[in-house]
Amino acid sequence: MTRTTKDIGKKIANELASCGVKLIASLPDNWLMDVIDTVKRDDRFVHIPVNREESAIGLCSGAYMGAMGSAALMGASGFMTVIYAITKINYTYEIPLLLMATLRGAAGDHHKHHISNGLYLLRVMDAINMPYAIIDKPDEIPLISRSYHHTRTVSRPMAVLFTRDLLREAGHELR
Amino acid sequence: MNYVECFRALARYRTNELVVTSAGNSGQAWWAATRDSEASFYLDASMSLSTMFASGLALARPEQKVWAFMGDGAFCMNPGMLMVERQMNLPNLTHFLVSNRVYGATSNADLPNFQNNDYAAIARSMGLDRILEFRSIEHMDRDFPTLKSANVSGHTFVVLEVEPFSDAEQKLEQPPFDGPELKYRFGRHLESRTGCSIFGYRT
Repeated sequence: MTRTTKDIGKKIANELASCGVKLIASLPDNWLMDVIDTVKRDDRFVHIPVNREESAIGLCSGAYMGAMGSAALMGASGFMTVIYAITKINYTYEIPLLLMATLRGAAGDHHKHHISNGLYLLRVMDAINMPYAIIDKPDEIPLISRSYHHTRTVSRPMAVLFTRDLLREAGHELR
Repeated sequence: MNYVECFRALARYRTNELVVTSAGNSGQAWWAATRDSEASFYLDASMSLSTMFASGLALARPEQKVWAFMGDGAFCMNPGMLMVERQMNLPNLTHFLVSNRVYGATSNADLPNFQNNDYAAIARSMGLDRILEFRSIEHMDRDFPTLKSANVSGHTFVVLEVEPFSDAEQKLEQPPFDGPELKYRFGRHLESRTGCSIFGYRT
């Protein structure tokens, strides 16, 4: 049976719920729309659409200090705008944060405006010593839980990066 | 009104609210007024994220009241945060916009459009309906107790019109804590107060 992007959204939601995530703060990316639609309809979560990605960092960091599990969901371009917030809040205070983003600009992404993400996204994460896990296949989705727990162990942020093949599937209408 | 005196008044009105301060002057003033190192989180250098941080905290702990300070310099960087706050509409959150019409943390540098910015009007335009403005300690003494005791359904936005820090006030001590110490002081206090587990070992 061919999987659908809704199935992937559901698997991601189940994985997030399994590790105690309650708050999900998001900004959209076309690749993420099914994930966002899934979590906003799922009453295991409080979904907060935010005005900019830094606000998601602030919300999730505050939720941590109130003992609520959380995750920030955004596109690759959004991640590129949050370096200050992550380094000033999460690094300075050693506040854990699970950040989920798209691996834009990699092979298979036909959008020229994401070339810069292909060139610099991973290098920027490396530059700030931010660990990340790339999730390319459905059977790798449990890496979300593993990454979430790792943030709690090391008291630092970690990112999981979703590929196009995971979120849009080969042969799916290109967007 | 004088910035530090305003914060001393707020400290008098405070009962058990958790407090999140913003970068720069509000952290200095709150530390000068309270010396609180447990129920206050000094979110230094957060550049416009103090109320988002406080919103996450207030969402997570609905039984706790949370005050968040933000300078108008930070507000100018991210006024859209009010859209998120209005959407969340948390009854246990009060956002204090400390309007000194300068970038106070950077030697009172000029703030864009400082003469015309109407923060209460901006908040109203984003749908907030519980908005207060205070320009004097007398005004605060008269109305703040009513504000605090009110049983409200949504979050509160308070504009405090204050004078910029003087040169002497700019030298007020910063809260003398490194980030992790502050995290644990605040977190352990909240764990003790509520029974929640922030740092507990997780399998």
